[in-house]
Amino acid sequence: MYLSNYKSRLLRYCLCGLAVIVSASALQAEDDFLSEEELYGDFEDTPASVNDPLESINRVTFKFNDFMYMNVVKHVANGYQKVTPNSVERGVSNFFNNLSYPVRLVGNLLQGRMKGAWVETERFAVNTTLGVVGVWPAADRFERMQPIPSEDMGQAFGAWGIVEGPYLVLPLLGPSNVRDLFGYVGDRAVNPLKKPYSVIEDSKVQTAFGVTEFVTKSPTLMRIYTQMKEGAVDPYSSMKNGYSQKRRSMIEE
Amino acid sequence: MKFLSKIAYLALFALAAVLPAQANESAKLAATMEAALDVVYLDDYQDYTSDQRQAAVRQILEGSYDLEVIIRRAMARNWNLLSKEEQTQIRDLIDRLIVKSFVEGIEGKARPMVACGAVVEVTSKRMEIPVVISFPGGKTYNVLYRFGRLRTGWQIYDIVAEDISIVSNYRQQFDDHFRKQSGAQLIEKLEKLLLQEEKEEGIDVSIKL
Repeated sequence: MYLSNYKSRLLRYCLCGLAVIVSASALQAEDDFLSEEELYGDFEDTPASVNDPLESINRVTFKFNDFMYMNVVKHVANGYQKVTPNSVERGVSNFFNNLSYPVRLVGNLLQGRMKGAWVETERFAVNTTLGVVGVWPAADRFERMQPIPSEDMGQAFGAWGIVEGPYLVLPLLGPSNVRDLFGYVGDRAVNPLKKPYSVIEDSKVQTAFGVTEFVTKSPTLMRIYTQMKEGAVDPYSSMKNGYSQKRRSMIEE
Repeated sequence: MKFLSKIAYLALFALAAVLPAQANESAKLAATMEAALDVVYLDDYQDYTSDQRQAAVRQILEGSYDLEVIIRRAMARNWNLLSKEEQTQIRDLIDRLIVKSFVEGIEGKARPMVACGAVVEVTSKRMEIPVVISFPGGKTYNVLYRFGRLRTGWQIYDIVAEDISIVSNYRQQFDDHFRKQSGAQLIEKLEKLLLQEEKEEGIDVSIKL
């Protein structure tokens, strides 16, 4: 008798459970789908459009840059990659990345990111000494010195609330906006390799550094550029939107 | 106590019905991506031409997800500016471009590892699945798949790669296009784009057309 009571109770619980499942599914099925408007209209998570009052001029500059990238930079990048072993490529890239420490330091300090400033300083010190002037990323071996997202003055201005301003396409430099252009000028001022406050007095050596840095960065530049361009219905719009989204995301993080 | 234990049993039954559904979406996404990669990398498909590979990948993707969702979302209100015929043509062309980009993006490279993370429930109708795609050379890409709950099931409505939303990017392009040009001109552009890429590959386009 005890067993049959237990079985009937178990049966009742199972039937109740089934009823709950069926009614929960039914309720969810009725109400919980995205509507056409929600799916295909404008969403709150859609980023604001890009301000581009100089579009006609920007498009001309874009075409010029496209010609230069596809006919000059691309060949420079291919040639560089062909003759340079991967390890050397990485080492040279690390060297120049290490030297742009002052830009990242200032970018962090201007945003009050003291921890970020400290990490960048530790990384610079360790990479310069143990890493042989930054060629080898020795700091990566230490847990507390792991790479952090790069900061610059343009991001600092964005963090202060300064608006982007009109979108710009700069000759050879590519996509930017008014705020980031000012940031770029500021970054050059604190970069020890670049004018106007370069620590290198000899202009020929300065130029040599500049050209070498450009060549080492050209493969990455071409990779990003061709990725944005490939499959784009309008490469200009694709670049404009991609650049703006990326910069907004960097400022928000 | 007896009453509480009854409620506990009922709650467990109800939860058990709902919980696995979203977790399955991560497994489904992983399986779809692996199946698509198999077409490019497995020996069984070695003799396939590029066109056959793309057709096979397209079949796999369309078997799992409705690509029209992401295409219409990228077109946004511009979709309504198109005739039914234009919508069908554009859908087909963009499908082919998406598949082409996917296949060509990985052909010639070593097979990447795909790691699908746990589902992140944004609301009851939206969720996200983070995916890390790692190539043997050390390069990794962080991609976020955004899903919306439709009557046809969970569908991908956006892909965010390295902080750039693909839908937002294409929406910008289509908005700029429709400011001055028409649906017919968009179709021409898409056909030209497809043709241009095929010419670069050396594919005999005359047979296709």
